[in-house]
Amino acid sequence: MSAKHTFISDVLVVGAGLAGNRAAIAAAEAGLDVIILSLIPPRRSHSTAAQGGMQAALGNSALGKGDSPDVHFADTVKGSDWGNDQEVARMFVETSPIAVRQLSQWGVPWNRVVAGKRKLPDGREVEDTKDKEGYITARDFGGTAKWRTCYTADGTGHTMVYAVDTVVCKMGITTHDRIEAISLIHDGVNCLGVVARNLRNGDIVTYLAKSTVIATGGSGRLYAASTNAVICNGAGGAICQATGIVPLGNMEAVQFHPTGMVPVWILMTEGARGDGGYLLDKNLYRFMPDYEPKKKELASRDVVSRRMTQHMRKGLGVDSKYGPHLWLDIRHLGRKWVWSNLREIANISMNFNGIDPATSLVPVRPTQHYTMGGVRTNKDGAAYGLKGLFALGEAACWDLHGFNRLGGNSVAETVVSGMIVGDAVAKYTLGATQNYNYKLIEDFVKIEEERIKNLISGKNGRENVYDIKKGVENAMMDHVGIFRTGPDLEQGVAKLQELYKRSLKIGLRSSGQGANPELADALRQPGLCRTALSICYGALMRTESRGSHSREDFPKRDDVNWLKRTLAYWKEGSDLPTLDYEPVVCKELPPGDRGYGESSAAGKDK
Amino acid sequence: MELAKNLQTTINKSHGKTDLYVDLAQSISGILLVGFLWMHMLFVSTVVINPALFDTLSIGLDKYYLAQFGIPGTVLLIIVHIFLAGRRAPLRLRDLRIAWRLTRMMNHYDTWVWAGQVITALMIGIMASMHLWTIMTSWPLRAATSAARVASVGPADHSFGGFEFPFFIVFYVIFLIVGEYHAGFGLYRIFVKWGWFERHKMGWLLKGITVIIIALGFTALYTFTQIAANLPAGGAIH
Amino acid sequence: MRQLTFSIFRFNPNIPGDKPRMQEYKLEEQDGMSMFVALTKIREELDPTLMFDFVCRAAICGSCAMLINGRPRLACKTLAKNMPSRITMMPLPVFKLIGDLCVDTGTWFKDLQIKTEAWVHTNKKFDPKALEEKMDNEVAEKIYEPDRCVECGCCVAACITANIRDDFIGATGINRVARFMLDPRDERSDADYFDVVGNEEGTFGCVGLMGCDDLCPMEIPLQENLAYVRRKMAAAGLKLQFQGVKVS
Repeated sequence: MSAKHTFISDVLVVGAGLAGNRAAIAAAEAGLDVIILSLIPPRRSHSTAAQGGMQAALGNSALGKGDSPDVHFADTVKGSDWGNDQEVARMFVETSPIAVRQLSQWGVPWNRVVAGKRKLPDGREVEDTKDKEGYITARDFGGTAKWRTCYTADGTGHTMVYAVDTVVCKMGITTHDRIEAISLIHDGVNCLGVVARNLRNGDIVTYLAKSTVIATGGSGRLYAASTNAVICNGAGGAICQATGIVPLGNMEAVQFHPTGMVPVWILMTEGARGDGGYLLDKNLYRFMPDYEPKKKELASRDVVSRRMTQHMRKGLGVDSKYGPHLWLDIRHLGRKWVWSNLREIANISMNFNGIDPATSLVPVRPTQHYTMGGVRTNKDGAAYGLKGLFALGEAACWDLHGFNRLGGNSVAETVVSGMIVGDAVAKYTLGATQNYNYKLIEDFVKIEEERIKNLISGKNGRENVYDIKKGVENAMMDHVGIFRTGPDLEQGVAKLQELYKRSLKIGLRSSGQGANPELADALRQPGLCRTALSICYGALMRTESRGSHSREDFPKRDDVNWLKRTLAYWKEGSDLPTLDYEPVVCKELPPGDRGYGESSAAGKDK
Repeated sequence: MELAKNLQTTINKSHGKTDLYVDLAQSISGILLVGFLWMHMLFVSTVVINPALFDTLSIGLDKYYLAQFGIPGTVLLIIVHIFLAGRRAPLRLRDLRIAWRLTRMMNHYDTWVWAGQVITALMIGIMASMHLWTIMTSWPLRAATSAARVASVGPADHSFGGFEFPFFIVFYVIFLIVGEYHAGFGLYRIFVKWGWFERHKMGWLLKGITVIIIALGFTALYTFTQIAANLPAGGAIH
Repeated sequence: MRQLTFSIFRFNPNIPGDKPRMQEYKLEEQDGMSMFVALTKIREELDPTLMFDFVCRAAICGSCAMLINGRPRLACKTLAKNMPSRITMMPLPVFKLIGDLCVDTGTWFKDLQIKTEAWVHTNKKFDPKALEEKMDNEVAEKIYEPDRCVECGCCVAACITANIRDDFIGATGINRVARFMLDPRDERSDADYFDVVGNEEGTFGCVGLMGCDDLCPMEIPLQENLAYVRRKMAAAGLKLQFQGVKVS
């Protein structure tokens, strides 16, 4: 049997967020025929939820003076806890200012420098100079030495997504929305495209291309409490890992954002603290300066999240029926500032909690936010294991972020890697051709059709997909959180293995006809279980603490044994990933002190 | 739009600035008609102060041929306005069904107000013609003749069983409300579209003006009935 | 907590023989329950066939617009506590129905972008070595205001004109054009803009019913933006007439 429709193009981009769209533009500019697939209309991508801004060393704002790609580089490497690829970081920091300026030409209404003196909430007086007036300004973000985060109020991601999509539109690039890639087609050497399911009518379709680009975002929704959109489940990485030859890198590196709003877990941007917001405990005491005298609320996210958890463990959290939480206080920024520069989060607190942050405290708790890991690629974005397969953005482990990402570096990564990887894709594709046996493609389609048939008939079992989904979400919360221990992780692995086995026995409760949503969930679930296991098992095996991976039984960073990157393969028939490791090369900046966090504080005590 | 994009739109496209002029003309004709109506009501209301003043004004209008040109001009304006504004109304049955269903379902204030405008437009079309007919047939306009008309009761013919109905007073009460509703909200909508004033405040202002004018109209109607009561018997219109 | 009754429009055009109908589901109200929580619960616990769209569930992406008790709203930020115990849900009108509460806003908006040429028109080549062009922060803020539109479709659904005229671009379309008019980087002339929206499919098609202005979930000042475009296009049209410039 063959698919209902087959589409052939030079380049196939899976995912139409900022990364996917930007890469597609680069490929189309090279004259290539590009098709973009998207689960949803592109402008609804999770990239729009990036509120605070994009880091680029422009050095225009008062406290950004003296900034340069070198300073940005050092911040990024320290933020990553020396876990990232410094060659990638170097390319990134050099390109980011170009990306911001190009976006400016494409229409992003970046906020600009307004000359004059002003007083910051902490009492410092700063002056924006006349010569910089009208250039793109920046705000403060965690873990940065300079004010470097360019923004449009707190709708930065939204304006970037819209500007980039206008270019896709203008260039006439083909976008197919409501299409979900459900498996990769490959011959063990080359990636040939994907088998996809049309979410409008349930048809199985195939997309064949010389190069396939995975830009499907992160896998935050494996956790019950995540700031991520509901579509961010890591399915793009999962279909790559399912080939058995493409590894996921550093999956145990999961970021928790300090300020997810209780109890809906919607993000309160880091810009709130960047603009001068405080974190308070149940006594309304500002506790962060005690832990982090230098960076206070603006240490890197992994550090702030741990400090908050530590503080709540001391019994100083605010009790609620959703468990303890802390307060985010931005009242002192004033109504005008809150309702203009932080309007989106003001709206969110009003809409979902009935709280006006200009006058009231917002309940917050560290919440799963970002996956530094993903499909492991080289610095060109080419995935390990298959030729013609690329990955970028949060879906990839290009490895800009190592074990902790700085706020403002992810939305920057999307467009910057879109430019760099997009160009690499174009270069590869221009010199490539595609050669395949059509039978191979039909076989891949047949596998998926068989899976669908079995899910509908319940041939393999009658497990309820939603029970398994919830099981995974809870296991991840309970066992692979901010602080991790060996026994806890072992239990987690065992639970997830059990859930994985059950996920192979899912049977639908509905007919599965048409664009049935239960079928979509059921097709995805085994892959999501494998991804969850890769996170949990990787965390168990990494016996050190680095960045956001914090082992209470191994509290120190171990550069002797663990200056390396985890690669998680999934061999067919296995119920655990096969882990492999590759060295992390610190080309420019040798491992040292971050200047914030527990080890830095311990160093000073001596 | 799904469908529209698949149609021939090149040769049928509106060319040049037609749509602008039509839209401008709709707004301008509306503003002029509101101006006319409000002036008309102010003039009529002079009867409250003094019937003689009413007569003087009326004579003046005739003397300087303002009525002779004004009435046909207004009629022409109304016809133009019907054509221009009418094209916005849901005229096809399909459109009417959609509009009615959505209006009821959404229960949105301004949309209801607009539904009211469509209905009052139809009523004004009929009632204005009747009004015009009765005036033209009892020319010239004087406080006494108007009073007699307003107060007349008919048919009062015994061959119809002595049935009496104060037709004109009821007619004018309805016509007044309907006309002022359409004018007040029509002006509101013009201002909304061109955005010269803050919408909600301006809405209240126009509602206020409309209520005042309706009140003036009622007072004038009452005055007419009083004048009619004091007229000598047989002073009724022909 | 109350028992909530959800009356939900059901119809899947891809299942042969399926007919449009309203189906009822009952749920116990929970603290802070949004329609996102409610619909997810219905799908996961009561009826796995129920189709609806959520992405960000935080009123940022615009995916979940639907008619809730007759009014277009974003379901994610509609809270049960602000609703009566009987809640009806229908898909948005105008947009093509995909199934149940899902409509195809993607295609409609894509067509709109192409029709209104909603991108920055410039002849400037990007120079990676050059600094960005300067702009007043106030101008940037002015552009951001209409740019906040999330293309949820509520204004289109709430507009009688958009409901009865297939070619009307709706408040979202006119607002989108306003965004580019305010942007000095877009080099289009008045005549170019007039060609795009100076007609009944665009700004002169608006009747002023203000369903858009009152029901926009992002609270974008649509009346202001629509009026801005109308005034600008009227002035442009008259000026072009005066100058003797013909527009096609």
